[in-house]
Amino acid sequence: MLGEVGQLLINGLVAGTILAVPAIGFTAIYAVLRFPNFSLASHLTIGAFAGYAANVSWGWPATGAVLVAFVVAGLAGVLNDELVLKPLRPAGVLTTAIAAVALTIVLENVVRFVWGNELRGYDLPIQRDWHVAGLRIGAQQVKNLGIAVGAMLAVFAFLAWTRTGKAMRAVADNPTLADIKGVDPDRVARLVNFAGMGLAGIGGMLVGLDTSIDPLTGFRVILSVFAAAVVGGLGSIPGAVVGALTIGVGEELSLLVLAPAYRTAVGFAAILLVLTLRPRGILGERAY
Amino acid sequence: MSETRLSRRTLLTSAAAAAGALALPARARAQGAPVRLGTLTPLTGAGGSYGPPMRRAMEWVVGEVNAAGGILGRQVELVSEDDQTNPEAAVRAARKLIDVDRVAAIMGTWASAVTTAVAPLCWESKTFLTTVSGSDSITQLPHQGYLIRTQPNTHLQIGKLGDFLLWLKVKRVFVLGAQTPFALPSQNRLREILTKGGSEMVGAVIYDKDKTTFRSEIDQALRTKPDMVYLNGYTPDVTVLAKELYKAGYTGGRIALGYAANAKFLASLPAEVTDGIYTAQPTSALESTGYRRLAKALGSDDLDPYTCQCHDHASLVCLAIGHARGEATGTAVRDHLRRISQGPGVKVDSAVEGLKLLAQGKAINYEGASGPCDFTESGDILDCKIRFEQAEKGKFKVVTTL
Repeated sequence: MLGEVGQLLINGLVAGTILAVPAIGFTAIYAVLRFPNFSLASHLTIGAFAGYAANVSWGWPATGAVLVAFVVAGLAGVLNDELVLKPLRPAGVLTTAIAAVALTIVLENVVRFVWGNELRGYDLPIQRDWHVAGLRIGAQQVKNLGIAVGAMLAVFAFLAWTRTGKAMRAVADNPTLADIKGVDPDRVARLVNFAGMGLAGIGGMLVGLDTSIDPLTGFRVILSVFAAAVVGGLGSIPGAVVGALTIGVGEELSLLVLAPAYRTAVGFAAILLVLTLRPRGILGERAY
Repeated sequence: MSETRLSRRTLLTSAAAAAGALALPARARAQGAPVRLGTLTPLTGAGGSYGPPMRRAMEWVVGEVNAAGGILGRQVELVSEDDQTNPEAAVRAARKLIDVDRVAAIMGTWASAVTTAVAPLCWESKTFLTTVSGSDSITQLPHQGYLIRTQPNTHLQIGKLGDFLLWLKVKRVFVLGAQTPFALPSQNRLREILTKGGSEMVGAVIYDKDKTTFRSEIDQALRTKPDMVYLNGYTPDVTVLAKELYKAGYTGGRIALGYAANAKFLASLPAEVTDGIYTAQPTSALESTGYRRLAKALGSDDLDPYTCQCHDHASLVCLAIGHARGEATGTAVRDHLRRISQGPGVKVDSAVEGLKLLAQGKAINYEGASGPCDFTESGDILDCKIRFEQAEKGKFKVVTTL
């Protein structure tokens, strides 16, 4: 029993860390632009496929391919926001959120049009897992953990120490005041879209590294990503990390009492619970 | 340009004449007239690669029957339509076959959705329907006996799979099943077979196939120390499961159905992961003379199961009409089909040979190119051969056929 819990905790922490990367993207976009951008799902997929192209077609190692995933998904994010979502923002939050859902369906089908529906796996050596003290840990899991933690540290460093990072936090905190102080909101919007969707792209690739990818990769995880952001506090970046770890561990630990088929329900239950008891989320909505 | 006008009088006269002709007893109309049968196969759409050989197999059977003098002297006329793998198009085509061509039987529907749409038209017009669709629900339709299918359903396939596992002397089986309508029925059926044979189902998990990782499910399976894991899902999730089982250090047996562990599955994983995995899939009676004759006639040594099944559809329908002394109606086919498909009669594997024996007043039992072709009351086949293969160095090799 104890071994079982230990194994589930490890699996949950790894899943949670991977989930945290796109969750940071989601919550950062929310913090600056104030709408839930569900098109993150398809950017996850775009990143996964961009990484696939780099890894399989050009023979790049996984760590290099992750950078390609970041850049391509980030650029796609900026482009899609400029062309589709930005013109709709004056029409209200709900309209923009619905447009983002529509956008994600369109983009997902663009990916399907180019790559087809079949399942693709990254070109990685398949290794047997390590067994340590009765617990099973995969080499790829450890690598993914490393990439995810690295990406998160980079985000925190960027927000804390760079001028643009500070500008982003200023806009998230008080857009009017930031505008008066001369921070260009359009520039910050483009930047947060690039970084947020880029992180989603990394997340998509990390998800795919351990399994396989297809045009629905992003769609499958978007609920967990959304749940992580809500649980941690929409708009709070450390909150997204806490929320992601909570959801990741919670989904795994639920297996002690639930059949695996009901695992997806954990995300919904967490959203429900948090919105009822603490609507601002665990860490509230302070951006940083 | 002169205008042809249809006066009300001519219209009425000709309509009355036509109605009168139709009102004549069927027997009188059909004297020496050809027997009409319809084929409804997917020549285009998702099933488009299967339909053409299916139709050719039926055309070949009819050609042979006609060359040998037809059914009790009556030639057989085949009317072929395309169902476009689309229920809507299939219904239009079936209406034409039933109302205009007045066929006794429609043969060869492939997609389950198409069969489900066409079946009510058939039983309402008392037209016989033969299909290769596999969905369990099809034979549960209220078809009043006007339908048979030659594709095995879940119950039959899993039963054979259980027999195979017992044959392998497997003792502890774990089932990892995707969440599908067939997950629970196949689990229960397998448990029944294993328990009866002295083995055990040590556990089963139904997983959400849209999850990105199945580590916890794998852990759950491995804790029960199985010597065989049955992966009852589709290609995407079975691929991930096979990979994760390997990573987890599992070295026992694995088995999956042929449509899940297919060529694409082999291609997407390295051989060290796929080696040793067993697959099960329905197969035609490859050793039978019926199969070999058809393969030679169609110029292929690897016929797909549907083509063989369609060969049997046409043969069965011709023989049933022969048994009904030439009465070419759907009801006659329904009432006589099981009298030529099963029972103690002389075994035959071709329509021509069967018709000859029927003419001599002998009883026959048709065994086809697809299998024994014996049917239950509800129209399912009683038995079917399942071929078991094992992956070796990235290729499948036949292990046995049950």
